[in-house]
Amino acid sequence: MNTTTELTRNEDVQNAKKERLDKIDYKMVTFSLAGKDYGIDIMRVKEIAKAGKFTYVPNAAPFVRGVYNLRGDIISIIDMRILFHLPAERKVENALEDLIILRVEERIFGVVVDSIDKVVGVASEAIQPPHPIFTDINVKYISGVVENASRLYIILDVERIFAQKQEEKKEIVHEAESSTPIQAPPPQESGEDDRGDVNIGFIRETLFTFRRFSVSPINKGWFERRYQEWKKLKKDGDLQLKDFEDADEYLSGFYSPYTGAFWSSEYAAAVTGAMPNEAAKNYNVWNPGCGKGFETYSIACALRKKYPESRIKIWANDSDLLNISNAPNMTFEIDDVPEDFREFLVKGKSGYSFSQVIRDMVMFEYHDVLNANPMPDVDLVVCRDLLSFLAPTEQSRVLGDIGEKLKENGFLMVGGNEEIPVSEEWEQLRADPVVLFRKKA
Amino acid sequence: MRVEYINPFVEAAFNVLKEVLVNSDVRRGELYLKSASTPVLGVAAIVGLAGDVEGRVLFDMNRDTALAVASVMNGEQLATLDDLAKATITELANMITAQAVTKLHDLGFQFDLTPPAIFTGDNMEVSDQDVEALIVPMETPQGKIEINVAIRERA
Repeated sequence: MNTTTELTRNEDVQNAKKERLDKIDYKMVTFSLAGKDYGIDIMRVKEIAKAGKFTYVPNAAPFVRGVYNLRGDIISIIDMRILFHLPAERKVENALEDLIILRVEERIFGVVVDSIDKVVGVASEAIQPPHPIFTDINVKYISGVVENASRLYIILDVERIFAQKQEEKKEIVHEAESSTPIQAPPPQESGEDDRGDVNIGFIRETLFTFRRFSVSPINKGWFERRYQEWKKLKKDGDLQLKDFEDADEYLSGFYSPYTGAFWSSEYAAAVTGAMPNEAAKNYNVWNPGCGKGFETYSIACALRKKYPESRIKIWANDSDLLNISNAPNMTFEIDDVPEDFREFLVKGKSGYSFSQVIRDMVMFEYHDVLNANPMPDVDLVVCRDLLSFLAPTEQSRVLGDIGEKLKENGFLMVGGNEEIPVSEEWEQLRADPVVLFRKKA
Repeated sequence: MRVEYINPFVEAAFNVLKEVLVNSDVRRGELYLKSASTPVLGVAAIVGLAGDVEGRVLFDMNRDTALAVASVMNGEQLATLDDLAKATITELANMITAQAVTKLHDLGFQFDLTPPAIFTGDNMEVSDQDVEALIVPMETPQGKIEINVAIRERA
């Protein structure tokens, strides 16, 4: 008795399911990209076309193929495969491409795909929410997944993709350009983990958008530790970073000790303790990203004490004019200065400042490290929490510049949560809590 | 560029322009840094610097602006960018740079000036490798004058 009722119930369920599937109320144009099937809501599709000979637009993003004259209307042509970093088959020059012409928010776009298939009708109820492992395309651009005639179609959310704000577009451009040496982590190496945990990719993107923090081997260790912490902190809640506050919260533990303040005596001792006791007659230091100058003055005092005989010169620069413009004439309260440095202070009208001895050592420059760095060769580079806030290509360039400027056996100090990938050129020194590297001879 | 050098140039540019353009509405735009090659708007006056530092100051404006500024400075409407107009712009460059250098001298920096030179033409570009320039954009009723200061410490 029991079994029969169960059977009928099963049958009922199946019938209901069948009925539901039969009700076709969603049509989509299907096409393929890199061998996978995709669909776009037919209501967004104006027409399909075959076209070639797009007019190249200089300086456009890599995924913009150019513009095309569609019966008198000039439309921009976007290559979906480049946009999503999928392998694009090379066609002969000027061969015709399959185009889907889309209408999004009154604007018309042409989208290049591998090949257009047909129009498929499905029941909208049968569309399931996207699952991260289905696809190479970022989940936020997918509105759902549906099966039809034993083929699985990924439905793209074209509104999301093309109606995005300028900022987001930049982010995609950045992604598309990011295949440079220092940007090792994304797809290949750590692909496995990231695929399973798609949130980490979002966080990586949003950190760059909000705070220009780019994850690279320089800070990957911290980023992944922080991500585990973050997951625990947010439990099952929303892991993603929605605004500046979220991004700042995520980065809160990243900054080095004594950012925007004088170094404590212990910290300064840890830095100088790792260095040799003898120094050259002329000792040069480069301090890019010096901000308001607290860091620079700390270095100046610590080195003055360590090497009283040397002629020390510090090139300190920052690209934030507001921050650096007060650095040469900084005044402060005596309590803000660690005891070890107080011997270098003089009292002026508006508070304490550093004596001429220290000020003569330091040269503050309004300067962007991405431009040519004209200082002579240096013995020490203090570059805390700067590299992480440059785009990956810029990181490798600046690191290259540092390597070039640094003398053999010179020291490089990076942020408390940064590291230089181990290489022929750099060796790490144990100097907790300071992160120091030596350039090998 | 050394922080101490910035203000003297900004102030000198502002004061001198305000003076020669007879109290008209002169405004300073946002300062920024630019690297290497600089397209020139059409008229460029250049003053070289030497001494503790090496570098140059470039005053960049388009022909219309140059002509309008020269007209105001001469107190008569000039029709073409002739020798008189060019000499006037050169003098303007000299005045601003000299005043900046005087201010810097008071701060203890020793600079020397070279005599100014003026370049005019279309599609000109100034390239000096390895120097980044500070751009001080000045808005005047006669048009925009960009002051492009590239100074490097003598190593």
